[in-house]
Amino acid sequence: MRPGVFTVFITGGTGLIGRAAIARLLRQHPDVRIAALVRSGERWRSLVTTLGPLAARVVPVRGDITCDGLALGRGAHHWLERHSRAVVHLAADTVFSRSRDAARAVNVDGTRHVLELASSWQGVERLVHVSTAFVAGGRDGFIAEQDNGTGAGFVNPYEWSKYEAERLVRDGPLPWIILRPSTVACDNVTGTVTQLNALHFALRLCYQGLAALLPGAEDAPMDVVTTHYVARAIGAVMLRDDLAGETLHLCAGSRSLALGELLDRTFHIWARDESWKRRGHIRPALTDLETWQLFTHTVDELGDPALRRVTHALSHFIPQLALPKWFDTSRADAALGFCAPTVASYWPRMVEKLAAVAWEQRCRIAA
Amino acid sequence: MNGAACAPGISAVAYAFPAVSRSVQELARAGLLHSSPDTLESLGFGQVHVATSESPYELALEAARALLRDNDIAPDSVTLLIYGGLAGSAAFARADTAPTAPRAMERYRYPATRLQFDLGLANAMVIALDQLACTTLFAAVRVARAMCLTEGMARVLCVCSEFTAADGAREAIFNCVSDAACAVLVERDAPRNRLRGSAQITKGYYWDADALRDEIIASYFPTARHAVQCVLRDAGWRPEDVHWVIPHNVSLRSWQILLGLLGLPNARLWSRNIARDGHTLAGDNFINLRDAMLEGAIRPGERLLLFSYGYGAHWTALALEA
Repeated sequence: MRPGVFTVFITGGTGLIGRAAIARLLRQHPDVRIAALVRSGERWRSLVTTLGPLAARVVPVRGDITCDGLALGRGAHHWLERHSRAVVHLAADTVFSRSRDAARAVNVDGTRHVLELASSWQGVERLVHVSTAFVAGGRDGFIAEQDNGTGAGFVNPYEWSKYEAERLVRDGPLPWIILRPSTVACDNVTGTVTQLNALHFALRLCYQGLAALLPGAEDAPMDVVTTHYVARAIGAVMLRDDLAGETLHLCAGSRSLALGELLDRTFHIWARDESWKRRGHIRPALTDLETWQLFTHTVDELGDPALRRVTHALSHFIPQLALPKWFDTSRADAALGFCAPTVASYWPRMVEKLAAVAWEQRCRIAA
Repeated sequence: MNGAACAPGISAVAYAFPAVSRSVQELARAGLLHSSPDTLESLGFGQVHVATSESPYELALEAARALLRDNDIAPDSVTLLIYGGLAGSAAFARADTAPTAPRAMERYRYPATRLQFDLGLANAMVIALDQLACTTLFAAVRVARAMCLTEGMARVLCVCSEFTAADGAREAIFNCVSDAACAVLVERDAPRNRLRGSAQITKGYYWDADALRDEIIASYFPTARHAVQCVLRDAGWRPEDVHWVIPHNVSLRSWQILLGLLGLPNARLWSRNIARDGHTLAGDNFINLRDAMLEGAIRPGERLLLFSYGYGAHWTALALEA
């Protein structure tokens, strides 16, 4: 390895955002070298395929964030201790239906393990912790970037665990930058979706005519972002010395689309397909949380197994729709010098593409 | 539904139940329910009416006769009879007799024309409606209204008689099913229950209720809300203008969800008959209308919303001014 190379240790580098962030960092910063924590050879090979020639500047490090010391081998530990200048902690269990213990093991304990290890490495200058905008949990209304508290509980253990992880980062010894992305809708403004998530799961139910009700108001903001934007932001803050102690919302903010309008546009686009239109599927009815819960409770109690699985899976994240959040992005926009793309600029293409490929991928959500 | 000089409305309702009633606990003991009786009771059901020796036709005749008798309606003043319900030999089969294969000419033994004869409706033309399930009487009332307005009909008698399936099962997706017949008189110039709005949404995609059960359950509520929005728009009313929601007797839980969607309080639902009558298929809303009026719950001039769903699939609603 060349002397003077800036080595960034990344956890979660084989995930959706991780791959994009690594590619971005390597393209943007010729002097950057990545040490990527990987759990298996298969994931590493997949990352190499994604990166192509850029993979030459990536060093795989076998390990597991749920273990003390990340279960690094002695050689890997010494190498990282000697070379690491920055840490990007992206690894997380993003499945909303996980138990609190399971979410804690990866998202809280995993963060603790990363912090303990990284803070013992003398050369580490900063930690970029990728969190989620939904650490705001059960709150609604305007959510400021510097707002770190929640007295309103959480919709699922994922939100809680990410909130706890943020606390560890803030209380830790390393200079930190916390990035809070909103829900990732697609890869970029072309609307391509590489990996389906809970959002797409909900959309697919709408497409199939299986989504009866959704909690929320017509004018509630649907804040989603692209992988490209999040990866670009990670790349932009990585080498910045002036952002230590900053928490930035990587959100659409004022560029969100209202829930009602988003559903209208979605159904309008799908209705261009005559065969789908003929089914007469109607847009889910928006209602208050109480009515939605009564419906899901009834299905849970009485519905057949297939419908129960649907409502059960939705129940882990859909209640967020009834907690409209206007995420402030002013600090992020100013710090980055760019902002998230307007949701309306890619949403139609995304839903069109999803329908065109007939939802071929398996949604990454526990049912 | 505006612009007409006359004001058709529902001037009378009568109904007939079979002699026997069974509690949901009794139905469960007889193996006629899929769900536990406790579950069905928690959804608002108490008992249902069970035909043991009657035929659908006999109940239809009883209900129609009661309507004419109790309201002093001369049979020859009825200009149209609309029949909806079991057709052919099924209408005449008594509950305690085994069905037999119909002979060739039996298909022409129609309950609708026999009803005209037995009731002495000498001046009534006859129309029969079919394949509308629980929304049959809504369609009959709409056809009646249209005939009043376009052909000057003065009195239209709508009669519906439905018994549950021959296998005797008394539950359809968590709803307890009753046997009943209901007769509704629509008059060209009705003093009460004037028809201010109507709506029906039919989605043929859901024609196979067995195969698309989950999709039907999912589409039920948003489409029901849409149908109600359509009827309110037709009547020129806002949701908060509705004084009473006169339901079809499906589970109270589903009504609570629908009322939540409509932004209406549960107290506006006249739900007493769900427990004591169960779901009588097509007759519910009109039986409930009569009972609510007899009970004095509805005052003249109040605005009533009637909604029903029928497999096939139809979502239908009427707006009445009491």
